[in-house]
Amino acid sequence: MDFLIQGLGMLMAPKVLLVICASSLYGLFVGSIPGLSATLAASLLIPFTFFMDPVPALVSIVSMSAMAIFAGDIPAALVRIPGTPSSAAYTHDSFALSQQGKAEMVLGVDVVFSAIGGLMGAVVLMTSAPLLAEVAMKFSSFEYFWLAALGLSATVMVSRGSQAKGALAMLLGLFLSTIGVDITLGYPRFTFGNVDLLNGISFIPAMIGVFGISEVMRNVMEKQMQYSIPPVKAGSIFKGTGKLFFRYKWNVLRSGLLGTFIGILPGAGADIAAWLAYAVSKRASKEPELYGKGSIEAIIDSGTANNSCLAGDWVPALVFGIPGDSITAIVIGVLFMKGLRPGPMIFEQQPQIIYAVYLAFIVANILMIPFGYLAVKTSSQMLRVPKNILIPAILMFAVTGAFAINNSVFDVGVLGVMGIVGYFMEKNGYPVAPIVLGLVLGPILEQNFMTSMIKSDWNLMLFFVRPISALLGGITVIVWLFPIYATFLERTRKNSRARH
Amino acid sequence: MGRKDYVGGGIFIALGIFIAATSFSFPELDGGHPGPSLFPRVLAALFILFGGIVVLHGRRSAAVKTEDSSEDERPPANRFNPILVIILIAGFIALADTAGFFITGSVALTILMIRLRVPALKSVTISILLVAFIYTVFSKGLRVPLPIGYLGW
Repeated sequence: MDFLIQGLGMLMAPKVLLVICASSLYGLFVGSIPGLSATLAASLLIPFTFFMDPVPALVSIVSMSAMAIFAGDIPAALVRIPGTPSSAAYTHDSFALSQQGKAEMVLGVDVVFSAIGGLMGAVVLMTSAPLLAEVAMKFSSFEYFWLAALGLSATVMVSRGSQAKGALAMLLGLFLSTIGVDITLGYPRFTFGNVDLLNGISFIPAMIGVFGISEVMRNVMEKQMQYSIPPVKAGSIFKGTGKLFFRYKWNVLRSGLLGTFIGILPGAGADIAAWLAYAVSKRASKEPELYGKGSIEAIIDSGTANNSCLAGDWVPALVFGIPGDSITAIVIGVLFMKGLRPGPMIFEQQPQIIYAVYLAFIVANILMIPFGYLAVKTSSQMLRVPKNILIPAILMFAVTGAFAINNSVFDVGVLGVMGIVGYFMEKNGYPVAPIVLGLVLGPILEQNFMTSMIKSDWNLMLFFVRPISALLGGITVIVWLFPIYATFLERTRKNSRARH
Repeated sequence: MGRKDYVGGGIFIALGIFIAATSFSFPELDGGHPGPSLFPRVLAALFILFGGIVVLHGRRSAAVKTEDSSEDERPPANRFNPILVIILIAGFIALADTAGFFITGSVALTILMIRLRVPALKSVTISILLVAFIYTVFSKGLRVPLPIGYLGW
């Protein structure tokens, strides 16, 4: 209870409240611009968090991401372009209803059910994270190795398109993490005599490059630089949402829990949660024929799931130091930057910070109602911001942010190179989020592997002797073998169909 | 994706070979156990394995010719723009220390905005105001020592 009060005290400090409001507005703005993602917003926020205390740094990411994921629904409803990938699942439904003159209702549903989903996720985070942290206290390097391996494997499993390409992106991140002085002998690896590389690839410029510069490079190719929409009558957006809540209360519960569970799975983010909730909702619905043509049920389910997923993503990040998605990969980077090591010990040593994060989720999702209203009210102006001015501004912020971390133009070089890498990889169907997860988890994976090997006198069998380690190892191996099994199953089905 | 997969997979295979070859120069632990080279070698093997899978996949999909419609929607003139972004970043790296953050940033922003069809005068004005704002936020607010250059601020 003391820690809760301490956490609340930290959160209620005027400076922290100001940070929450500013980052919420920032999240709403970036989220509502088509083509700019919540991850881009998080990556551009990091240089600022570098200069903040741990609590404002973390709560700024919490409030920004919650608002950005909601705000992605606005252009989806008004111009049929999702603001962030998390709104893609129900874009057709949102736009179809808007075309039927129900834009206000859709946007009201987006605001309210995003907030409800976010609050549900926060409750699950608050209850499950401390329990899991107690289990994690028993973990040694063997278990941490498997957890990191499982996190990376899950990232590859859920990556869009080819899993081989997802694996290559993850391997690239792991390789980048090996650059610099190694942990066993202090030997410089892949530095080629460059002093700047001795400390390794700086996480922040690499991340801003992969997410920020590659998005800038994509956006400067776009034809449409401005959207024109009629203003929305924001006054009536909440009319009827109460009725909808009571009508679809079980949908909300199901999607909120599903979204949080997806979030807890390492590597799976809000977009996957929205798509899964959409699929489950359609299967369970009494009106499946409306899906894709203007189903409010679809919007309620997916909108609840993508926001509840955000808090779920923080569970593995805080408890095990394994990111739930690309935003929590950034969070882990921020924690390390602040001298905090994510994992069970943080619950023992800095519980007030953890409580402040829990409460930040609650505050951010409550604030979503007035801020969401404001965003809807100003949506026509926000969408009118010309991208041919906004994109160069983002480029300048990205370059300055990368420079600011170490006051070095070398980091601006890292930013540029990673931007090129991210751009070409996405252009060729390679997901980029696994690069960042690999970069974050690489040192954890290698350090725990080498520690375990030295402890066990190079006996690999010890990775399967400790019960939790054996369980995690077993699950990881199953995840590795699953694509082979799925391919085999598909071929068998095809062959049997061909025979018939 | 057929030809692109050949190239992409090939690049990763080459990277795997490069990592493996470089790792042979790394020292070993006592007792002949691999030390700094172990993790990179595992990565190298996986790069070659998954790179090979992508190449094989590319070979299969090359038979089915697909058109990339997303490319066609973009005006051909805009295809130079991503290259310009990289040129501007490279220019910033080369000139920021000498010319300073303010001049380099303003020039880079103006060039990009004009390229994105913002009128010239508007581009110059917005660039100067925006860079001044960023300079104030980072240099005055966050105490980041941004390069001063010719202006001697």
